Amino acid sequence: MNDMKKFDLTEKRKLFIAIPLILLACLLIYIPIFGAVVSIEFTGGAMMTYTYSGTLDLGQVESEIRELNLANVTVTPGSAFNSDVELINVAFSSSQGLSAEQLASVTERLTASFPDNDIILENNQNVSPGTGLRFFLKCLVAFVFAFLVFVIYIAVRFKKLGGWSTGVFALIALLVDVMVVVAVFVFFRLPIDSIFMAVVLAIMGYSINGTIIVFDRIRENKTLQSKKLPDRELLNISVRQSLSRAINTTVTTAAALLVLSIVALIYDVSTILNFAFPMLIGLISGTFTSLCLSGTFWVMWRERKENKSKA
Amino acid sequence: MKNVKKPVFFIVAAFILAMAYLTIFGVHTYYGDVETVWIRGVEDIRWGIDIRGGVDVIFTSPEDFSANRNQMDSARAIIETRMVARNITDYEIYVDYSTERIIVRFPWQAGDVSFDPEQAIRELGETALLTFREGDPWDERGYQVISEPEDLPLVISGSDVESAAPQYFDGKYQVALELKPSGREAFSDATGRLAGTGVPISIWMDDYCFSAPRVNSHIGDGRAVIEGSFTAEEAISLATRINGGALPFKLEIDSFNTISPTLGMSSRDAMGLAGVIAFAVIVIIMVYLYRLLGVVAGFALLGQAVGALAVISGFFSGNQSFTLTIPGIAGIVLSIAMGVDANVITSERIKEELKMGKTLDGALQAGYKRAFAVIFDCNVTLLIISFILMGAFGTPDSLAAIILTPLFFMFGPSAAGAIYSFGFTLSVGAILNFIFGVTASRLMTYSISKFKPLRKISFYTRDKGTIGKRVERKGAV
Repeated sequence: MNDMKKFDLTEKRKLFIAIPLILLACLLIYIPIFGAVVSIEFTGGAMMTYTYSGTLDLGQVESEIRELNLANVTVTPGSAFNSDVELINVAFSSSQGLSAEQLASVTERLTASFPDNDIILENNQNVSPGTGLRFFLKCLVAFVFAFLVFVIYIAVRFKKLGGWSTGVFALIALLVDVMVVVAVFVFFRLPIDSIFMAVVLAIMGYSINGTIIVFDRIRENKTLQSKKLPDRELLNISVRQSLSRAINTTVTTAAALLVLSIVALIYDVSTILNFAFPMLIGLISGTFTSLCLSGTFWVMWRERKENKSKA
Repeated sequence: MKNVKKPVFFIVAAFILAMAYLTIFGVHTYYGDVETVWIRGVEDIRWGIDIRGGVDVIFTSPEDFSANRNQMDSARAIIETRMVARNITDYEIYVDYSTERIIVRFPWQAGDVSFDPEQAIRELGETALLTFREGDPWDERGYQVISEPEDLPLVISGSDVESAAPQYFDGKYQVALELKPSGREAFSDATGRLAGTGVPISIWMDDYCFSAPRVNSHIGDGRAVIEGSFTAEEAISLATRINGGALPFKLEIDSFNTISPTLGMSSRDAMGLAGVIAFAVIVIIMVYLYRLLGVVAGFALLGQAVGALAVISGFFSGNQSFTLTIPGIAGIVLSIAMGVDANVITSERIKEELKMGKTLDGALQAGYKRAFAVIFDCNVTLLIISFILMGAFGTPDSLAAIILTPLFFMFGPSAAGAIYSFGFTLSVGAILNFIFGVTASRLMTYSISKFKPLRKISFYTRDKGTIGKRVERKGAV
């Protein structure tokens, strides 16, 4: 790690700020054009997944269901990476939920119209729009509250380093991580559902730990120093000291998540893949933001404040 | 902590291994075909419906009807009675009085191939058909000999019931029944005929008989009292069920999800395999990075992993067990990551202390001491997250939910209890991290360092700290 000795994080601050901003720009362009797959857990609506054997004409399936005159329906092939069964998804848009009778009529219709295809209902999700919205709002409140408590906790624990500023910059690092997880879900077209919530929260937990470790080092070095070092130097020393911990933990955990992802891919367990893979990316992001962002922003803030008070 | 004796390592390690064995395989004894579970193994863990398949329904009262608390309780009683009648025992049911919703969740019934979830959901929400019938469906030994309510002559039905209320009278719990004028005559006739004969009037919901009180006297005014050796709960339950039969509204299905078991259980085995491989990979990397400290970390992590599983399964068969969902597995993964982190932080600290030229004992002590502050902060933040999640997405009667009520009251109990599972496993992980990641690992390391042959510095760090480096480092810090 000799070559790392001389590095100065604050010099790279433009790069550190640019990376999240570029990602944000990509998301802002991508989402309006291609959209994101939001689970009906949030939007409300109905979605049924059927397994079938043989060949099935999706257009024909769609017109059969259309004849029932329910709601606006779309039929798409389901994703099975490695499996003998074929899947189709039948989704109804959500202006009003479907009743159990209506959904049963869809299944009846399909099994009657395609008797040779062994059509079996695999999954069915039917959420009224009101319930979806309520769930979404509840998640939002939970997030905002968690953010607030983090800021307060960190501000209290690191009073010595300026309190609120540490909390706020730790939060900014967290928001970048949340954005990265959102990006993974959006770009890989994974459904934004309760698994997404769990991943975001897990990454928040991981990232906040990384930030705490860096700030803890800064605080400790501040007390240990006989001569007063500038914040910039303190940060560089502290990040350098935290580096091997960060790399070793991330590599170990990432290796475990990689194993989970690979096994999930081989056995086609999409639910596990849907959390293991974004978590893997989020872990890397969490390591980056906690090492490079929160501390750097904090130093920039301190230096600005100092310059102001001097002027 | 200084005077940790040599055998401590073996005691802690043996304890963790024994724990691991019991948690994974459990203890079952067989008496003939009857299996008794003493300690629950992994096989006995209750899997969430997102893993093993099942049904998740939200019922609401009709839009144009405002149901009060008692009516919601009665609606809940109807559903519970129907669940029991269908032999579904491991269901969960939550009532949200403010938004008038009832959340019902039950797993796919094992071995039931013909199970039709849509049918089951529709039947759960249907208007309950309460009937009072003449005669006893049970024989003296308690076997139900009449299973069709139509086989017994009808006395009155649910629409003839005004109300039923539990009451306490003369040292006994009773249920007071009040009939509408429409039912008084029929009830008067029947009780007049049956009084003193020992023939009861049985009370049925749909095809399920839940009470058959004997008729003691003729009741002409439509006010009856059902006596029995009731506890307070039984009297309340009986009254609620009778009221359910007189419920003036039909439950509507707001949302429902069904998940077939085929996706779930096969993937569970695959995940078990993945978990074992992932754990092995973690241990290999840790041992490669930190030598003996890596071995200690391996034991500590095993303790943490099986500890989490033990809490979820409830371990002893009498304990309550928790439902493990996919977000719950994510919570375990995160807490294992935190366990790895705790060990890495400590080992890195020890490495640094050794580099600075401390003796082995001094380095170990300083390492654990300094690492603790930061591990503490990390675990507390995790506990905070998990507490918020458990409050937001848990059952309304849990401690976290009650404390956080001011924040989440307007949303009612959520449909996605799956996230609760994440919060729960995470909080367990954070607490176990203190036990295994901090305490157990410190005990094991101190004890191991008492063995002469194991005191070589190179067993604790990969860096061969040179004098030059040491000086340079001191200069930098």
